[in-house]
Amino acid sequence: MITVNQLTKSFDGFQALSRLDMNVKKGSIYGLVGTNGAGKTTVIKHITGIYQGDQGQVQMDGELVYDNKKIKERMGYVPDDLYFFGGYGLGEMGKFYEGIYPNWSQPRFLSMIQRFGLDSRQKISSFSKGMQKQAMFILTLSTMPDYLILDEPIDGLDPIIRKLVWKYIIDDVAEREMTVLVSSHNLREMENICDSIGIISNGKMMIERDLDELRSDIHKVQVAFPAEKDIASFLASLQVLHREKRGSVELLIIRNRKEEVENVLRKAQPLVFDMLPLTLEEIFIYELGGADDEIQGIIF
Amino acid sequence: MFQLDMKSRRSIYEQVVENLKEMIRSRVLVPDEKLPSVRELSRILTVNPNTVQKAYRELERMGYVYSSAGLGTFVKKVAPGQRDEILFAQGKSRLREAMQEIRYAGLSHREMMELVKELGEEFERRDQ
Repeated sequence: MITVNQLTKSFDGFQALSRLDMNVKKGSIYGLVGTNGAGKTTVIKHITGIYQGDQGQVQMDGELVYDNKKIKERMGYVPDDLYFFGGYGLGEMGKFYEGIYPNWSQPRFLSMIQRFGLDSRQKISSFSKGMQKQAMFILTLSTMPDYLILDEPIDGLDPIIRKLVWKYIIDDVAEREMTVLVSSHNLREMENICDSIGIISNGKMMIERDLDELRSDIHKVQVAFPAEKDIASFLASLQVLHREKRGSVELLIIRNRKEEVENVLRKAQPLVFDMLPLTLEEIFIYELGGADDEIQGIIF
Repeated sequence: MFQLDMKSRRSIYEQVVENLKEMIRSRVLVPDEKLPSVRELSRILTVNPNTVQKAYRELERMGYVYSSAGLGTFVKKVAPGQRDEILFAQGKSRLREAMQEIRYAGLSHREMMELVKELGEEFERRDQ
C-alpha cells in the first residue's frame, strides 16, 4: 500500500505539488495520468524517495519512504531518463544490482535476457533507446520488487516487446501481489491494464477512483426526439455536462449510471437513442480541457 | 479461451463478464465445471488479475457461478424460472431494435408474433 498524504513541494517558488493525496492499494495496477507539467514525475520522485516533500508524507506499508533503505530494496523503479554505468554490459550491470537488492533472482535475469534476445556482454551504451529500456525492465523485474514504479515506461518499445513486458508484470501481480504504479499518456493502454486511476492537474489530485466505476458513471448519448417534445423537462433529472445539437440529433454527455439515463430518456420516446461509455481519453479531456468550449467542440 | 477486443469502448471487465456468460449460456462451460483460477485467466488473457477477480465476483452475484473456498470457481446450474434482470433489460432493448427493423422490412403484426413463437420453441427444444 502506498499512501501519499498532503504532499506539497515547491522548486524556486514554483508550486509543483500542493496538498496532494494518493492511495495505491496492495496488488493494484494504478495509472497516474495528467497533462504535461501536471506533476506526475515529481510525485513519482517523491514516492521513490528521491525528493523530500516540503510538507506531507509518502508511506509504503506504513513506513516513510525517504532515506529508507529497507523499503527501497523492495522497490523497482523504471524512470523516464535511464542511467547505466559507462562501459558496462547487461551481465555486469546485473552483478551490481545483485549486490544491492536482496531479492535478486539470477534465474529470472538470465531467462529474461534470453526471452528479450539481448546480448548480456554488449555494452549497454551501444544499445538502441528501446533496447536500453528493455535492459532496464529486465534489471528491475529481476529484483523481484514488491512495488514497481514506472514513469512513461512504454515509450519507445515496439508492440511485441510491450506485450512481453506487460506479461511479466501481470504475472508478478497475479503471483506475488506486486503493486504497480504507472504514469503514461497512452490512455488506451492504461485503460486496458489499470484497475485504478489518478488524474492530477496543477499539482493536485483531481480524481482518484476505480477505473470501471469511473467509466460506468459518465456516458455519451446521441438522441433525437419528435420535434414537438419538450425534452428539457426530461433532462432536468439528469446531470448533463455537455449538450450540443447537430441537426436534429442531440449529443449529450451525462454523468449518471447507464440504467438511470436509459430509464429517463426512454420515457421521452426518442426516435434515435444511442449510448456509449466514455473512453478514458474522453474523460481525461473532458475533465481537464473542460472549460474550453472550442476544444470540446472538436473532441465530442 | 476467448478473445478480448482491446480497441473496444467496452471495458475489459465488461468483456470478461460477457464472454464468460456467453460461454455458460451456450454450454461451452457446463454446470459444475471449474473455471480457470483468477491467476490462470489473467495470465492467459494478459489482463489485470484484479479485473478478473472482479468479473468472477460479478458472475457470482448474478448467479452464473459459485465459488468454493480453496477449490475455485464453478459454473452454477441455473434453476428454471430464475431471471437475470440486467440481461433481460439488455436483451429487450436489442429485441426492440431488431423488431423495428423487421417491421420496416414489411412483416405484419401476425407474422412477427409467429416468428417470436417459432424462436421460443426452438430454444425450448434445445434445452431439452
